[in-house]
Amino acid sequence: VGRGLAIADTRSQFGDLFSVYEWLTIVVMAIVFGLVLFAVVRYRRRDDEYPRGQDKRTVLESVYALLLAAVAITLVTFTFRTEDKVDAVASSGGLRVNIVAFQWQWRFSYPDSGKVVLGTTEHPPTLVLPVDTTVRFDGVSRDVIHSFWIPAARFKRDEFPKRHTQFDLSFDRTGTYIGRCAEFCGLHHTDMDFFVRVVPRDDFERWAGS
Amino acid sequence: VSVATATRRVGVIDWVGSTDHKRIGVRVATYAFGFFLLSGVFALFMRAELARPGLQVMSEDTYNELFTMHGSGMFFLVLAPLALALGVYLVPLQIGATDLAFPRLALIGDWLIPLGGATMFAGFATDHGAAKAGWTAFAPLSDIDHSPGYGMDLWIFGGLLATAGVMLLAICVLTTVIRFRAPGMTMLRLPVFTWSMVVTCLLVIASFPALIAALSLLFVDRHFSGVFESPGGPVAYQHLFWFYGHPVVYVIFFPFIGAVGEVVAVFSRRRFFGYHALVLSLLVFAALSMSVWAHHMFATGRVTNQYFSLTSTILLVPAGVEYFDLIGTMIGGSILLSSAMLFAIGFVLLFLIGGLTGVIVASPPLDYHVHDTFFVVGHFHYTVFAGSLFGFFAAVYYWWPKVTGRLLREGLGKLHFALYFVGANLTFFPMFISGWEGMPRRVADYRDIHNLSLTNLLSTIGAFTIAVGTLVFLWNVWVSSRRPVLAGNDPWEGQTLEWWTTSPPPRHNFDSLPKVKSYSPLYDRRMGEA
Repeated sequence: VGRGLAIADTRSQFGDLFSVYEWLTIVVMAIVFGLVLFAVVRYRRRDDEYPRGQDKRTVLESVYALLLAAVAITLVTFTFRTEDKVDAVASSGGLRVNIVAFQWQWRFSYPDSGKVVLGTTEHPPTLVLPVDTTVRFDGVSRDVIHSFWIPAARFKRDEFPKRHTQFDLSFDRTGTYIGRCAEFCGLHHTDMDFFVRVVPRDDFERWAGS
Repeated sequence: VSVATATRRVGVIDWVGSTDHKRIGVRVATYAFGFFLLSGVFALFMRAELARPGLQVMSEDTYNELFTMHGSGMFFLVLAPLALALGVYLVPLQIGATDLAFPRLALIGDWLIPLGGATMFAGFATDHGAAKAGWTAFAPLSDIDHSPGYGMDLWIFGGLLATAGVMLLAICVLTTVIRFRAPGMTMLRLPVFTWSMVVTCLLVIASFPALIAALSLLFVDRHFSGVFESPGGPVAYQHLFWFYGHPVVYVIFFPFIGAVGEVVAVFSRRRFFGYHALVLSLLVFAALSMSVWAHHMFATGRVTNQYFSLTSTILLVPAGVEYFDLIGTMIGGSILLSSAMLFAIGFVLLFLIGGLTGVIVASPPLDYHVHDTFFVVGHFHYTVFAGSLFGFFAAVYYWWPKVTGRLLREGLGKLHFALYFVGANLTFFPMFISGWEGMPRRVADYRDIHNLSLTNLLSTIGAFTIAVGTLVFLWNVWVSSRRPVLAGNDPWEGQTLEWWTTSPPPRHNFDSLPKVKSYSPLYDRRMGEA
């Protein structure tokens, strides 16, 4: 199972956006932990006196609240930009793959070539995909809600009964990755794994034609 | 001493049927704490199963029952009732009232909660076992075909009863604040904790009916007609559920940040800093929190992600204001690191981790990866355990002397805190990594890849550390009741009216009241300002 390989566009989009949030998290934690530590050390009780001080700093707090709002708007702006790309659905072309999720297995079919992959309890199904190709997924569930998750692609989408879900993914590195059902779907939810094998286009054509 | 003797002579009828708000508060807190121990033991079994890859301790079926009942128990029977128990006990005392409004209604609410709990847990005695569709009970997994058996129905009725009980208590507390305030106690002189209860009750009254609706419709769906069978049904259920399910996490957050605010002020020997900003931020927080529910549904691809991302992210503004006020109270103070203060500081530090990861999951492209994984499990346990429960224990160590007339042992309290602080981080921090690396939530087993066996083992060790901390607390309670140290009226130099009366307070709460000229009347007296 390939770890640490940048495979999908969704993955790099995720990485870029996450780094913004990651830095913010680290900076805020450093400030708050630092201030609390400072307060506990500097202002620990040394005598029986009651300190005298201001009960409020309204102007400072208002400016601070505006600063927080600016941070929130900045984060949301980054998020919206990334989401537009991640949620984008190509207008045409690419490979089509149909996903059928059911308790507790996956069925992947390729309408262009007629290939069908069905997992068994002993052998999780392997979704074979060509590298550098836009893949249009069409997913549906046969019973309860499932969720199609490829951790290495940093992406998941729920699969509902009676309603089809469409999304596009593309993988820019070859390799084998794990996929899982992320939405709790009953007794054997734990076992609902699959594999994703991204191969060169020629290999994919050979596999699809076999 | 005479008061302490009187409390020991409480009869069974009085214990079961008293409408004294103090008895109701203690009763709700006591059985909620019992449900906490039970639901906590479920968590220990789950962590034991997850300590190593493979199934060693239980079947998948049992595991599914345990996490369902752990989550349902903690939300329906532990955290929301504990929050309201604090309010029922303390709000009348803090505003100088002699009793709670509608005491008989409160008594009904009080007993509906354990009745609901017993109903829910009775599922374990049925043929198909207890409910096992998760505490969210999403349709169609929770319908009659996919969740046969009475366990699911008992879960529905248990949830309905407990939710109705909490709603009744909230109505009583809110009415008390509006109607029963002492002379001089204006709305903008309510203590910080009482304000936090006001917004809590507003949220309960506004959002809990959605759960009543969702659960009732689920019962109809199971036995009469398929309410959620249409193509849009499953999403509709999720909207109904999360319209309750998100506000409820603020219901179990506000009272504890209010309690932490009181503790921080008293043990810093300062009036709470930025009181008006806090009140405003609580109201803004409550209003916004009614408009964020579908951030639990980003991965469905069936909601307006950008709207819910915006409202959810904006929550960092009122939350940041509250942090400003808490830290502002400490800076310039005279800080005593008592057990209560340690838990309050633990709340401030650890809730921050829950809050900041909350900002992360409020971003749909990031949530696509971490939603429904252990990352989210880590996130919300930092808010509800390392946040709310730390706040609850800050409240316990702070108000225990008022409620019982006796002091808890400080040494054991600090040991309790140390075990909880280490245990919480050891349990919940590795969950961020587990989820990130590919571990979904609600799984009894995992493949031994990406170091998942290491992160899971750490989480398990942490969970048992928390369990030891809980035992230390119970030991503290035992020791302190066997060899009592009397507390007196006001052992901490409190700032609010509950410290004016005896410990425990008499049936009618107050023999006299001081003048109320601010949100901290006893502080005013101490500083010669009244």
